[in-house]
Amino acid sequence: MKQTQNESHTAVIELRHVDKFFGSLHVLKDISLSVQKGEVLVIIGPSGSGKSTLCRTINRLEGIDAGEIIIDGVPMPEEGKELANLRAQIGMVFQSFNLFSHRTILDNVCLAPMDVLKVPRKEAREKALSLLERVGVQDQAHKVPAQLSGGQQQRVAIARALAMNPKAILFDEPTSALDPEMIGEVLDVMTELAREGMTMVIVTHEMNFAKNVADRVIFMDAGSILEEGKPEDFFAAPKTQRARDFLGKL
Amino acid sequence: MSISELLTEYGDKYVQALFTTWQLTAVSFLLALLIGIVITVMRISPVLPLRMAADFYVQIFRNIPGAALLILLVYALPYLNVVLSYYMCVLIATTLIPSAFCSEYLIAGMNTIGPGQIEAARSLGMTFLQIIRNVILPQAVRSSVLPMTNLLVATMLTTALASQVPLNPRDLTGIVSYINTHAVGGVTAFVISAALYAGTAVLIGQLGSLLDRKVRILR
Repeated sequence: MKQTQNESHTAVIELRHVDKFFGSLHVLKDISLSVQKGEVLVIIGPSGSGKSTLCRTINRLEGIDAGEIIIDGVPMPEEGKELANLRAQIGMVFQSFNLFSHRTILDNVCLAPMDVLKVPRKEAREKALSLLERVGVQDQAHKVPAQLSGGQQQRVAIARALAMNPKAILFDEPTSALDPEMIGEVLDVMTELAREGMTMVIVTHEMNFAKNVADRVIFMDAGSILEEGKPEDFFAAPKTQRARDFLGKL
Repeated sequence: MSISELLTEYGDKYVQALFTTWQLTAVSFLLALLIGIVITVMRISPVLPLRMAADFYVQIFRNIPGAALLILLVYALPYLNVVLSYYMCVLIATTLIPSAFCSEYLIAGMNTIGPGQIEAARSLGMTFLQIIRNVILPQAVRSSVLPMTNLLVATMLTTALASQVPLNPRDLTGIVSYINTHAVGGVTAFVISAALYAGTAVLIGQLGSLLDRKVRILR
């Protein structure tokens, strides 16, 4: 008992026996996992394995039917102000960028810090500009999202997540909607973040990235976690036949 | 009487009537926008009774003829011991009906917003009202400028209901009845009013297109 308490204390994200159904389809089956501070967890698996759903349940964009999600020691409530407060601590980067199309790039990054965290405008703008510089799109600050390339938009989305000083960032297939030549620029930013010690949960099909950046890899199929391990072990010698088949097809 | 005779004799009355129509239109439209926004927020709120009440409101006022609503306001409300001035009755009728359409246009405008943007806002810790204020309403309003322009014209045409009650000063339709009881204006008296309605509508249309081009959201 004591040991589990100690464990849960250092975990930024912890899932305990999470189940989720879409109608009669059991999409997450008794999922338990924890992500430690500074850890980079990569989730891989075939389409429909539940990896995106898992990522989205962590900040309750998808509800769950059983189990518990604990963020930095605090159980995630189902709705209301407290849920919003906990969500503000976990960043999220989506496959389709999801920038606010009516606001400038700078506003996209400033908006939540000013409105949710009540950061003064001047401070929020300065921080936003330095984040935009960090992801290499400072020249685009006064354009609107539709004027940027996909890779640029995704880097802005990362800056927008960072602007909230999150305890962790969830990446739900961040490069799947990008042209091959833009994938690299987004992965570079993510690699940099990982090096700086950001806690990250990443759903991706970029296996080289997973090999190089992940601290731990989870392989999912049909709503269950089939394998879990260090990337060097998993990619060199997957334990399950399902994982061997999956990696063999790549 | 010819148009020029009518204009010399009743020109100032037409101008006064035009301003009455403009004023009724402007006040009704602004109130309709405000009510329409509130109703729309209720329609997408997470609270079921609010959604049901707002949907019911829209169904009622989108589907009731203006004349019927005006008759109810003038003749039925007094049975509930509510006696409003004729002006108020007209104003309420010409506000409630456009407010239902306003809500319909805003809902249509919202459907242009990618659901991902709402999820992004939620993931940033915004509450329902913050999402409404920061993400949904600004985009819904900016992408419904053209339908709102049409609604403004429709609201103006609805204010012709004012001719059905004694008002002073009269509106553009009421002035025609007035002239035709004092002189033989005939159809010509209508033509002048019609031209003033049409001219206003063209002006509104032009301004609407200009505004739309200015605030349209690049996607």
